[in-house]
Amino acid sequence: MDDSSNKFSVDETANQQERLLPIANVGRIMKQILPQNAKISKEAKETMQECVSEFISFVTGEASDKCKKERRKTVNGDDVCWAMATLGFDDYAPPLKRYLDRYRDLEGDRSTTPQTNNINEDHDDQLLRPSSSSAAKFN
Amino acid sequence: MRQAGMYSGILSGGGISGRTGPHLLPLARIKKIMKKSSVDVKMISGEAPLVFSKACELFIDELTKRSWNVTIQGKRRTLHKEDVATAIATTDVFDFLIDLVHTNTSDHVDLNEDHVL
Repeated sequence: MDDSSNKFSVDETANQQERLLPIANVGRIMKQILPQNAKISKEAKETMQECVSEFISFVTGEASDKCKKERRKTVNGDDVCWAMATLGFDDYAPPLKRYLDRYRDLEGDRSTTPQTNNINEDHDDQLLRPSSSSAAKFN
Repeated sequence: MRQAGMYSGILSGGGISGRTGPHLLPLARIKKIMKKSSVDVKMISGEAPLVFSKACELFIDELTKRSWNVTIQGKRRTLHKEDVATAIATTDVFDFLIDLVHTNTSDHVDLNEDHVL
């Protein structure tokens, strides 16, 4: 009788791990924002795990709907930013856009020969070249 | 084709071991959750999980801060699940989470009691 219940709980655990972000990571982020003397119950961390997964699903659903309407197969970073703004998380959009732009710049520089790193530093350069010049050079 | 090093390098970060590189949350896991959200989700660009890793941080920050305010009001120092539930109930943008945290309270709701709607 115990074998079947054990199997069930093992499957449950594996399933859980698949659809939730690790509790250690979630807990760490929570701790970082709270005062040093704050304590967090395990249940609260578990609840936060569930909420984050729901957040991801919620925003992804909206982004994916947009792609479907526009007949695009791939959900990209801009779609995610757009979906968040649409669903009321508009104050997340500016820091996310900055994060995404920085990532794109880094990736662009990595794929080309080490050259024009100062696209963001020097405004004069932006007048002469478009900001996506690294993509152009890539070709 | 994507460069193998760049893609796998980004996605292999994270997991229970805690090795997440510059990101606090495992990108591969985020991608899995995205895929499960809808049958319509077919392809996901490399940047999308990255944007989410930052967005989830912001989300956790906001929900945690609001929950902590409830904790403080109750003159406590331990953040409990109920504090999170209260923060969700009192914040419009978190309406999509109401069913997730309040599934237990339906047993306690008595429409004939003194809860004036």
